[in-house]
Amino acid sequence: MPLASHLTACCTLSLVALSIGAAGPACAGDWVSYRDAYRAMVVFEKYGGPKNFLQSQLQVAPQDRGASVDGLQLTLAGKTNQVNLPLDPLGRTPFPLLKGAYDENVALLLSRKIGSFAVRPRVSIALQPDGVYEDGELRAACEQALGFARYGDGSLRSRQCGGVRFVFAKRAAEVGVRVHRADGSDASLPVVPASPFPGDADDGFPTVLYRFGGNERVQLVTAYPPLAIVPLFE
Amino acid sequence: MTKLFALTLAAVSSAACAQTPATNPMPDGSRDMYVGLGVASGARYQGAADTERSALPVLQVQLSNGLFVSGMRAGIHFGRSPQVEFGPLLEWQPRRDAAGEGDELGGVGDMRFSLVAMPLAAFSDNRLAGMPVIHGRLQGGAFLNYYLTPDWRLTSSLLYGAGNARNGMKLELGVQRLAVALGAHHRLAFDAGVSFANRRYNSAFFGVGESDSLLSGLPVYDAGGGLKDARIGARWSWAWSPSWMLTSSVQATRLLGDARLSPLVERPTNLTVSTAIAYRF
Repeated sequence: MPLASHLTACCTLSLVALSIGAAGPACAGDWVSYRDAYRAMVVFEKYGGPKNFLQSQLQVAPQDRGASVDGLQLTLAGKTNQVNLPLDPLGRTPFPLLKGAYDENVALLLSRKIGSFAVRPRVSIALQPDGVYEDGELRAACEQALGFARYGDGSLRSRQCGGVRFVFAKRAAEVGVRVHRADGSDASLPVVPASPFPGDADDGFPTVLYRFGGNERVQLVTAYPPLAIVPLFE
Repeated sequence: MTKLFALTLAAVSSAACAQTPATNPMPDGSRDMYVGLGVASGARYQGAADTERSALPVLQVQLSNGLFVSGMRAGIHFGRSPQVEFGPLLEWQPRRDAAGEGDELGGVGDMRFSLVAMPLAAFSDNRLAGMPVIHGRLQGGAFLNYYLTPDWRLTSSLLYGAGNARNGMKLELGVQRLAVALGAHHRLAFDAGVSFANRRYNSAFFGVGESDSLLSGLPVYDAGGGLKDARIGARWSWAWSPSWMLTSSVQATRLLGDARLSPLVERPTNLTVSTAIAYRF
């Protein structure tokens, strides 16, 4: 009975699996393969197109809407040294591209379990220290992000830049974006709860959506720094 | 018939059937390697009704310069775009023989001369009995893969050099759904495709010549080229740690065209299942 024999072999392997699996990374939380993360993150590094307005970070994204990354720590656990990678409220951190860690095949350890989660690269628009953003710069940044997205995903060729989304911390002291027009008028954009990035489970972050309009020169001013400025492809 | 080792190697990260691994960017001078061992159960040969179990070595190596070894395949990734992969490809075509009936064949062979026209197959249910051994051959060719999205890719490979005359050619076309994540440590991949073979390939593996017919008792069969088979498969990978994983696959293959009509074929649809533990280093 080949099928029965095969099942027997599978069971035997599974028992071996459990014994080996128990010898995995010793931590109270979960783990991620550094190599797999490296493979995803190095694409931005190797991208030869314009990207001066962009930043790329690794995101640990819980798939359960109720799970939080508050206080979550990510540690690059090598044999000889450990590096703590601080996560922002969106679960993102700058990712160090280290040959030593790659060759050592180290684990990225999460300080606690957060249920099911995904690890993925997130490209967003770099923040300005003064909180002032020219419409033209945001358009250029969005075009850069779209160019990079198309570099990795040919199905995005038909997409266009529609705007940007400012994402604020849930506990931010002040949330909002004001639009200064050339004629001196000033207006605030509405704040709505939404997911920071497409596919994120938590849709409760305060966000402000700015859509690109005509050729009018406008400035956008944030009184309090956003967590991220996310390009919007439509 | 259980053999200790199959004359094949399995890959870990691509889909169920033999495919080229996806481009794996890494630091200069680094590598990504999997080595493991498991079990496989599948048809004794293409079109056989009986199955055999075998130990299954697992090997996949990728180097920073693009060189890769994946199961029985080796090649080089020349493409630098995330959307297109291409390069030269080598594949080892395993030997096909009467598979474990050598001793019996020797005894029966002596009898054949005394009984003049009695074919070898008269003493065996094995349709390969009396058929010539097809020696292992290194095939050469190329592969070209195109990503529709980061998760979907079209695959193709063209290999030449199979069969004893080294002139068999096979074209494989497929589509893959890569790495469906089920939580942080489980991945599923799906694969479907078709293969085309030239007349010389099909003649070598599915044809029965006049002399072969005398020895095997099978009717003479002239296998033409064209569509050879269609396949569908799935692979599940469960990572226990950055170093250890369990990888399992199932693949159904159905012979088509002239291959399916060959007298060597007892069952046109074959199922292959495998599972293996692999260490990544």
